[in-house]
Amino acid sequence: MTVILRAEALNKSFGGVRAVNGCSFTLREGSVTGLIGPNGAGKSTAIDLLSGFQRPDSGSAFLDGVPLIGKAPHDISRLGLIRTFQSPREWASLSVLDNLLLAMREYGRESIWRGVLRPVREAPQRVRAREILDRFGLGSLINAPAGTLSGGQKRLLEFARIAAAGPRLLILDEPMGGVNPVLGERIHQAIGDFVAHGSTVVVVEHNLRFIEETCDEVIVMSLGAVIAQGPYAALRNDPQVVDAYLGEVQDHV
Amino acid sequence: MSAYWITVLTQTCIFAIMGLGLNVVWGWSGDFDLAFYGYVALGAYLTIVLTVGKPLPPIQYILGYTLPYPLAVAIAVAVVTGVAAVIGAVALRNLRAIYFAITTLGAISVLYVVVQVYTPLFNGFNGVAGLVTPMAGTLGLSYDSYGYFFLGLCATSLLVLAVMLSRLSASPFGRLLRAIRDDEDAAAAFGRRVYRSKLKAYLLSAAIAGFAGGLFAGFLGSFNPTAWSPQEVLTLYAGVLVGGRGNVRGVILGIFVVYIAFIELTRFLPEIPGNGAFAPAVRQVLIGLLIIGMLKFRPQGIVPEPLGLDGPRPGIRWRFWQDPRTASAAGGEP
Repeated sequence: MTVILRAEALNKSFGGVRAVNGCSFTLREGSVTGLIGPNGAGKSTAIDLLSGFQRPDSGSAFLDGVPLIGKAPHDISRLGLIRTFQSPREWASLSVLDNLLLAMREYGRESIWRGVLRPVREAPQRVRAREILDRFGLGSLINAPAGTLSGGQKRLLEFARIAAAGPRLLILDEPMGGVNPVLGERIHQAIGDFVAHGSTVVVVEHNLRFIEETCDEVIVMSLGAVIAQGPYAALRNDPQVVDAYLGEVQDHV
Repeated sequence: MSAYWITVLTQTCIFAIMGLGLNVVWGWSGDFDLAFYGYVALGAYLTIVLTVGKPLPPIQYILGYTLPYPLAVAIAVAVVTGVAAVIGAVALRNLRAIYFAITTLGAISVLYVVVQVYTPLFNGFNGVAGLVTPMAGTLGLSYDSYGYFFLGLCATSLLVLAVMLSRLSASPFGRLLRAIRDDEDAAAAFGRRVYRSKLKAYLLSAAIAGFAGGLFAGFLGSFNPTAWSPQEVLTLYAGVLVGGRGNVRGVILGIFVVYIAFIELTRFLPEIPGNGAFAPAVRQVLIGLLIIGMLKFRPQGIVPEPLGLDGPRPGIRWRFWQDPRTASAAGGEP
């Protein structure tokens, strides 16, 4: 088993609230891991700490052995860790095509001098973008400004951008928020696709049926700390987990 | 062409260059920079003190070299860019939106007061003068033909800059700035350097401002605090907004509309005896009404920001009256 990500004793307080409190876990390469826990358990903050959007008070984290803490979000992204946000964050005034071209992990194109001196054609990137958009059923919207898409289309665009980036580690923050069952099935497939292409995936999600169907194992957080990690089937009867989280939602599952 | 029109066109070309610079930082990068006109003024002052020689007492100013005009403009641009690097490095690090605007307003207010009060810098309130028809001697131009020459210089500069910026607008760099403007966290999540990119745009914008200032100095021959004020930038913003924020051609069009149409139209207003400020006041009111009208009925401006499209001719295209956003959203493009 190869460990791709290791988080060790992460701490983060906001005022008097310890949002993340000694959070430690490891992720296996090629796995799909669900990160669950009640509201306020520190899941989103933990994502922010790993992706560099917030700096922890203490603790460390390593992606493929490379330390992440203290690095800027763009540097962590360039190491291959791509994260999403709770709502789709498309670049609204750019076309769908440009949204994909910009998500690709080729940064040298964006130089001022190259832009002024000769047009950057990006022919291979365009071919790739078209292929990805067709795969996500967005081919006919290639020239639409991303801000004009519907909520579901924006979700798909988010996944198309991830496909364009080809992350090593992908962290999805509530990808099923406001998503209908058909689209949910598509997202489930997309995650499988990412794994087939060599990504490792973490999903923060409240939809436990989705977690059960998609994830190899789950990490349960409560009060800022990891209280359990393992296959969902094993954890759903763990009294500590049931007490912290599942008890209050089991009726809905 | 009458001397009057040569003057109006030359001046508007210079304002259009300023508008293009403002468009880089506000149109593309999305930062409401109020220090912009300070860079224009600094470029103008430096160009003059680098070309007109030592000051004769009681006049005082720094440098006092007799460099050729183009070299002086080049140095002015370099110095202005350096000043912008200091202000930009502070203002762009963590400050956004209104906090950025306030910081840049503070910067230009300080600059304005220092220039006015600290006489040894640029001769205080009386300003610097003496840059008469730069390069006329070298090129052997008569006084009559010089107006045409300088108009040609400004128009050519505007054209070259417009071509360069149109390319940049359609390039991945332009796309990156727009993405950062739309959602900088998402840009960072996809590995884009937000701060560095914004700073690059800020420096490019300031360099264009300094260059416009150099041309402005050559046009006016002198420069003092009555020739500029921190509020000057708002008319430029009006031009960019009216023409089409983010669109190079739109910005040029907007500047010409605001500076020529309004100044020309208000020339024919009746004069009110004892109230000389009537026409300029009406002009300001009309520009204000135009801004409100545009924001209400066509917020994207006359020529909207172009959109990167797929198709046989890839890259950014534009239509004059039609908004490409709505056209392509309806499936208009193949």
